[in-house]
Amino acid sequence: MRTTIQSWLFFRLLTKPSVVFVELSETRPSPYSVFFRFIFWLALIPPVFAYIGAANFGWHLGAAEPLFMSNEELIAISIAYFIALLFGFISTAMIAQWMAATYGARHSLGIHFAVVTIVAAPLAVGSIVHLYPHVFVNVLVLIPTLIWSMYLLYRGLPIVLKIGPERGMLMASSLIGWLLVAAVSLLGLSVGLWGSGIGPSIGV
Amino acid sequence: MALPLVSKMTGNANDAVVEYYHDDVVRFLVMCSLVWAVLAMTAGVYVAAELIWPGLGFDHPWLSFGRLRALHTNGIIFGFGVSALMATAFYSVQRTCHVPLALPKLAWFTGVAWQFGVLAGGLSLLAGMNGGKEYAELEWPFDIVIALLWVYFGLVFFTTIARRKIKPIYVSNWFYGGLIIVIAMLHIVNSLAMPATWFKSYSAFPGAQDAIVQWWYGHNAVGFLLTGGFLGMMYYFLPKHADRPIWSYRLSIVAFWAFTYSYIWAGPHHLHYNSIPDWVQNLGMGMSLILLAPSWATMVNGIMTVSSAWEKLRTDPALKFIVLSLAFYGLATFEGPMMAIKSVNVVSHFTDWTIGHVHSGALGWNAMITFGTFYFLVPRLVGGKLYSVRMANAHFWMALAGTMLYVLAMWGAGVSQGLLWLSLDQIGELSFSFKDIMASMVPYYLLRLVAGLIFLAGAVMMTYNLAMTIKGRPTVKVRPPEVTAYRVDS
Ligand code: HEM
Ligand code: HEM
Repeated sequence: MRTTIQSWLFFRLLTKPSVVFVELSETRPSPYSVFFRFIFWLALIPPVFAYIGAANFGWHLGAAEPLFMSNEELIAISIAYFIALLFGFISTAMIAQWMAATYGARHSLGIHFAVVTIVAAPLAVGSIVHLYPHVFVNVLVLIPTLIWSMYLLYRGLPIVLKIGPERGMLMASSLIGWLLVAAVSLLGLSVGLWGSGIGPSIGV
Repeated sequence: MALPLVSKMTGNANDAVVEYYHDDVVRFLVMCSLVWAVLAMTAGVYVAAELIWPGLGFDHPWLSFGRLRALHTNGIIFGFGVSALMATAFYSVQRTCHVPLALPKLAWFTGVAWQFGVLAGGLSLLAGMNGGKEYAELEWPFDIVIALLWVYFGLVFFTTIARRKIKPIYVSNWFYGGLIIVIAMLHIVNSLAMPATWFKSYSAFPGAQDAIVQWWYGHNAVGFLLTGGFLGMMYYFLPKHADRPIWSYRLSIVAFWAFTYSYIWAGPHHLHYNSIPDWVQNLGMGMSLILLAPSWATMVNGIMTVSSAWEKLRTDPALKFIVLSLAFYGLATFEGPMMAIKSVNVVSHFTDWTIGHVHSGALGWNAMITFGTFYFLVPRLVGGKLYSVRMANAHFWMALAGTMLYVLAMWGAGVSQGLLWLSLDQIGELSFSFKDIMASMVPYYLLRLVAGLIFLAGAVMMTYNLAMTIKGRPTVKVRPPEVTAYRVDS
């Protein structure tokens, strides 16, 4: 039985997702290997491309001129973005492990790390679009990617955890609940920070 | 302690008249609710399109954004929402009390008159009669009719409870009861006004007090109707559906009282940084934060109830809707307290983030739980099978996609607006005009329009599916069970 996940799985994701999940269900990856070989690098993609894009072109929010920020601010935001993503990956995997017990699927943390990585991979790769920091273009690319990721979640969870489609469906919905709450917390946190003078300057 | 409660069937001993549950009125109200859902969501889609192409008003006042928007909100809340709540309250109160509806004629009258009220009210809004208070737009003659019908609703409901054969009052009835009492109180106080003409009146409260009363009403309409009423639905239909008792009955009762007590105070979070006293705003914020606890306790209670009944999902598309509705309930009740924090609200208030929050609750929670309930209820009412399970499954994915897209589009729009409204140039003046910012919202609004169309298409499909299920079948006659003794464990 393998103790890590293979890189080719990410490419098969595009053509034969179910094969990938079946393969994954036969592995016992260690959380460390998944983290250092995949999660860390995938989570670097969005902040790095966001930094390059914003530094060179400035964000287009739609109205008038693009929004430029100083280099220090951009670096700070990119680092915060990276940390938020790592937190998102790890917390989601841990919550998935905790939830799995309710659905009769006790597995090691490593397998949850692996599922979350596989499911989030399209989004991480899709975020290359940050290179062109126009909000609408980003939305246009990332929304279909998100739908693809959600499809992978509903499809993959029951296969990898071997829990039957019904429980998988319940668990995937609960995870979506968690992800929505995490996303909206991030939104609230950022807005709160702007109001107190951290981040883009606004007239509050 | 276990105490045996003894009760007798009516009519067992001395009268020969067999009593059945009154389910025809339930069936009628479900069908009306479906029709309003489709009509009011169509209005929602239309106003969503008008925000992109203002020309769609065609310079006709009846098609203007201002009038159609009120039609959307009133149609969906009072037409779709209240009809569904009346239907499910009438259905479940009989079954949790083991008696047929008391005053069945009054129940019919209330149900039918309500539909005419919503219809006439909707037309009056289109004609431009508007009291100017959100969610209480209807003018004073309608307010009086609504108050009367609401009292009749209460009479039917509470008389049935009074005649119950089971001593404890099941938790769903507490929520429906709370809905009836609190909405009556809110509606009557907030609608106090001096009529000037038949279709124009002026509020009885001056200035800032009027605003406080309005949002005491507005927030608790969300609290006791869109949340409390639908929780009543959840507490009856979810355990029924899952064929399991509620995970923790005690928690459900504790949450009920915590919820009732804290909601009432939270209204001022709609008026942050307005001309109302600062301490009132802080109180509203504090109470909103406390509200997270009973809300999430309820969500956990629901999720744990289904979690042990997962095998049911195989045959039952309805349960999927209920599971997902709980996830969105969790989202809306987490997002709400966060938006009630003043330093968040200062950015979020005048943005589409609020609209996103509204619809994560409205589509994700209210609409989904109702859809799930209807898919469960309608086949049982006519003793048949659902016309098409495949359609119901497809509807599930459409509802999920529509809601996610709607919410994400509005989060995106909200953040952009928050930054743009408040951005200042070097000399401290606003950088962007209102018009420019609105023009820049088109992409998000397009996305929301697509989301709305998907969601609406799903609702139309469900209406067809349920209409075909009912077609040609009479309502099943169900008798209260002939049980004479109940045990209650406390
Ligand atoms: C097809 C689905 C729907 C679409 C496309 C839609 C669209 C809209 C639009 C465009 C607005 C006006 C936003 C603005 O003024 O900027 C609105 C407001 C509103 N809608 Fe919907 N809606 C839909 C379904 C629903 C449902 C099912 C409910 C309730 C159960 C609902 C409740 C509301 C409420 C309460 C408001 C007022 C929000 C506020 O004033 O903050 N909507 N909707
Ligand atoms: C713990 C529960 C909740 C809290 C504390 C809460 C709090 C809030 C806050 C702070 C706002 C924004 C006020 C503003 O800036 O103008 C708001 C708006 C709104 N919320 Fe919630 N919310 C909660 C749950 C829900 C749920 C479950 C729904 C169900 C549909 C809902 C429906 C609405 C509506 C319709 C509005 C718009 C009101 C308007 O017309 O401006 N809320 N809520």
